[in-house]
Amino acid sequence: MCARFIKSKHFFEEGMVESLAEVSEANGKVWDEDAELDVVGKGVSRIDGYDKVSGTAKYTFDIKLPNMAHAKILRCPHPHARIKRIDTSKALNLKGVLAIHSHQNTPTIPWFWNMSQLYDAHLRYQGDEVATVVAETERIASEAIKLIEVDYEVLPFVLDPSEAMKDDAPKLYEQGNILRGKPDIYERGDIEKGMAEADMIVEDKFSTQVEVHHPTEVHCSVVNWDGDRLTVYDSTQGIFAVRDTVASSLKIPTSHVRVIKKYMGGGFGSKLDTGKYTVIAALLAREIGRPVRIAMDRKEMNQSVGNRPDSFQHLKIGAKKDGTLTALSHYSIGSSGAYPSGAGCSWPMRSVYQCDNVKTTDFSVLINAGQGRAFRAPGHVQGTFGMESIIDMMAEKIGMDPLEFRLINYAEQDQVSRQPYTSKKLREAYEQGAKAIGWWDRRQKVPGGMPGPLKRGIGMATQIWWGGGGPPAYATMKLNRDGSLDVLAGTQDLGTGTYTFIAQVAAEVLEIPMDQISVIIGDTATCPYCASSGGSTTAPSVAPAVKDAGEQMKEKLLSAAAAIMETSLTNMTYWGGKISLISDPSTSMDISAIMQKMNERILVTTGRRSANPDGYAINTFGAQFAEVEVDIQTGKIHVLRIVAAHDIGRVLNQQMLENQFHGGIIQGLGFALLEERVMDPYTGTLLTMNMCDYKMPTMMDTPQIDVIIVSKSDPLISDVGAKGIGEPAMIPTAAAIANAVYNAIGVRMKSLPITPNKVLDALNA
Amino acid sequence: MKNFTYKSPASLKDASQLLGDDWSQSIALAGGTDLLNLMKNEVETPTRVVNLKQIKELNKIEYNSGYGLKLGALATIAEIAAHPVIKAKYRVLHEAAREIASPQLGNMGTLGGNLCQRPRCWYYRNEFPCLRKGGDICYAIDGKNKFHCIIGGGPCFIVHPSDMAVALMALDANVTIFDGEKNHTVPISEFYLLPEQDMYRETVLKPGEIVTHIYVPDVGSGEKSGYFKFKERGIWDFAVVSVAVMLRKKGKTIREARVTLGGIAPKPWLEPHVSENLINLVPDEDNVSAICDQSLRNAFDLGQNGYKILLAKNLMKRMILKLAS
Repeated sequence: MCARFIKSKHFFEEGMVESLAEVSEANGKVWDEDAELDVVGKGVSRIDGYDKVSGTAKYTFDIKLPNMAHAKILRCPHPHARIKRIDTSKALNLKGVLAIHSHQNTPTIPWFWNMSQLYDAHLRYQGDEVATVVAETERIASEAIKLIEVDYEVLPFVLDPSEAMKDDAPKLYEQGNILRGKPDIYERGDIEKGMAEADMIVEDKFSTQVEVHHPTEVHCSVVNWDGDRLTVYDSTQGIFAVRDTVASSLKIPTSHVRVIKKYMGGGFGSKLDTGKYTVIAALLAREIGRPVRIAMDRKEMNQSVGNRPDSFQHLKIGAKKDGTLTALSHYSIGSSGAYPSGAGCSWPMRSVYQCDNVKTTDFSVLINAGQGRAFRAPGHVQGTFGMESIIDMMAEKIGMDPLEFRLINYAEQDQVSRQPYTSKKLREAYEQGAKAIGWWDRRQKVPGGMPGPLKRGIGMATQIWWGGGGPPAYATMKLNRDGSLDVLAGTQDLGTGTYTFIAQVAAEVLEIPMDQISVIIGDTATCPYCASSGGSTTAPSVAPAVKDAGEQMKEKLLSAAAAIMETSLTNMTYWGGKISLISDPSTSMDISAIMQKMNERILVTTGRRSANPDGYAINTFGAQFAEVEVDIQTGKIHVLRIVAAHDIGRVLNQQMLENQFHGGIIQGLGFALLEERVMDPYTGTLLTMNMCDYKMPTMMDTPQIDVIIVSKSDPLISDVGAKGIGEPAMIPTAAAIANAVYNAIGVRMKSLPITPNKVLDALNA
Repeated sequence: MKNFTYKSPASLKDASQLLGDDWSQSIALAGGTDLLNLMKNEVETPTRVVNLKQIKELNKIEYNSGYGLKLGALATIAEIAAHPVIKAKYRVLHEAAREIASPQLGNMGTLGGNLCQRPRCWYYRNEFPCLRKGGDICYAIDGKNKFHCIIGGGPCFIVHPSDMAVALMALDANVTIFDGEKNHTVPISEFYLLPEQDMYRETVLKPGEIVTHIYVPDVGSGEKSGYFKFKERGIWDFAVVSVAVMLRKKGKTIREARVTLGGIAPKPWLEPHVSENLINLVPDEDNVSAICDQSLRNAFDLGQNGYKILLAKNLMKRMILKLAS
């Protein structure tokens, strides 16, 4: 049969993706708002829970192959330099060293969109790859990299993106430091006219810091050649993306590369890109004819595997006395790091509120520091902090409640595409969140009005994100003779529960117990294609494919049963995992009984994600409400409670959903109050090299978190009706905390993280 | 980490001999919670590591009424935090022990190691050839100095990170040191050195010397003490500023006071002005505030750490008033 394709669009991180969707043959039931489901949506325990808590789960970091060697990268000690000479002779003489690679003895492999190479003699930040040693042990490799003698031509460097934009700044690339040579500008209506129409104008500057992902599992790969075939165990968010990059880098057929990732200790976007280290390890492994393991240490995690770019935002908004927004202007500068990475943060300003006159200008600037990468809602986390701060400032200036002000400017349709949303329940999120936190009676009427040194306040912020997912995503089902089921999908579980929801969806459709189902994901050799896990797209893309495979399997079983009973398909019914004649329930046969009567040992179906509907915008929405207590004698902010009220379509697993909200909110709290990459301005050296100086929140910093889901399903997106939740969970947290801090102390904090020194300085300015 | 030989002597004398007379060659290991990091970052590159944990009798916590508390240098932070007598009588010590790092680090870390840990400064701890490591400049002066000292610094601006030292100073403890032959005892207020006294070491210990015990005088009646550690993160963080206060009151009048501070200086910092002026005072919010506001007169702002001055004063006030009430 020839498959029929149609076009489908969706957002992945901050970019629109257009893809072709195969049209499914199955006609399954749509899980709409009224659908009553038995397994999907319930707080089913993770199917990988036992493996993880018992320590038997094997992460990439744990993979040990016979005869495996270990690689360690020598990284550039200067923020900007050129290699004049490398002498590896001393290092090669160290006992246990097997090989050393650098730009001198490896092919030129393009990297970073051809702007650099795998080993580049031009080193653009402190941490750039200079050479790699592979040795019998990681310890020997670490010793050996210190014996490599490198003559560097040290070049002038620049760390501050505003400085880097100037004509006389040290250049990282001949074409200059501004990414693509110009800002990313978005415009609708007439910004000048909008400002002129305003009764009130608020203008201010906001800044956010560089944040580092720090997944619990470090970035690592284990690679093994078998003849000219390569197996890569990788801690990655995209097995097929890694396969493509590794194959093209090594100039071998893609079919010769197999990428495997079973369990993973988090990624948050930092593992969306293929790491240089994976290809580096593959080259070394080919040379020495042994498996090679390469794993980053925490210093490298701080330095070289991505971050959330900083932002310096200059915002100006206009509104009428009645609260109608007339103009929104956003101008920002953000650091890409040493290699291209988008650092813009204006999407919230473009899309959250109804406003006809909008202009946004985003500069992404190259500086001599580690490269930025997608980080849990790239741009949105930074942009939402600035925007929701200035929205609160305008509400106060007009003399209006901040929530009321937001409702006046509620966007009924997508402001950028002018299309209707498939669903939008932000109003419900505002209402239920406000009620839960006590917005109308517990907020300080006068900011800072609470007597005494401990001042409480409540604030809120809005979230928008895409997260509807889309094709292509495939799932293959293999139904065994005993009625047990294998489900295969080339997606990956970052730790968020992909294994479990796949089993839930399969169990729901085929009405079989979850313990009869095995889920196989994260293997390019055995699983059908799914996209990388980013943009909160995994569940909304993969779940419908699994459902479709299940619906097809049901039809196959019905058809088989009809053939066995020598009757027409239309006389058959599927109910409770059993099949019978509609007219005679006593003819009921379970799946294994049907399978026993057939020659086929295994029935196979492959389901696919349907296309997204034309003419609609697909978004997730939400609002978070924070209650804080600020000690004005110390500047310490205690977050007491976060209420997160969100529209995310269908809940697949209540327990995992709440877990993911907790993770996102704690990460958002870290961004608001604690985490910051600090660099020494005079040497270009990273100072926050460990988990002690780079302060991530602990359980002791974690507030009470209440999750409210205001949506039931969004059946326009897919038969499952789920949207993604990974990124929405984090987007508004920092902004809500900052607004709560203002409500508590009456002084606005415009720079993240809001550390005690900043609060004390602001209060005593 | 550089290669090293590992020795595990059973006696103090052997340990002292193995430690030798050169700081750069030989180093003592107790809990290892600081040492291993220093060695991994190659701030310390000893050729010999001398494990002290096989030495008996150094891990005891003993209390005798009228005599006081004798703490073995190998007693762990967790043991001190859990000790019922310390919890009842020496609140400041109990509270300081509870605030140290994380439970895991408290289980490993020892009192002696906590007192002798190397300073916090991200220039010292990273790959900067700074003054303290024999280089020419202190990078903190023009660099990122939000966590650096506000008093007692120069030409190096480290902070001493020990919580126990600050608490023990408020208790007027004494440190017993074995020099290879015999013991001698110094008041803890004389145990620590400023950079202007020694650029490379934070204590009076000489190579081969080992801290064996800490003696804390018995607490008298009417004595109250407490510790407050201000940190950015809820747990597992060094003090931005910490304050230890010991007060002895008779009726409503303060008869004896010791106020010490952590996180603000290259050594645990005793504010004599505050301690002296509290004596014979009937404390109230106004007079305590006035005394604290007058303190830290020699403190200065390196550019990003000025907030610590206000923070230290506010924390002193709060702790004194809490104990006085």
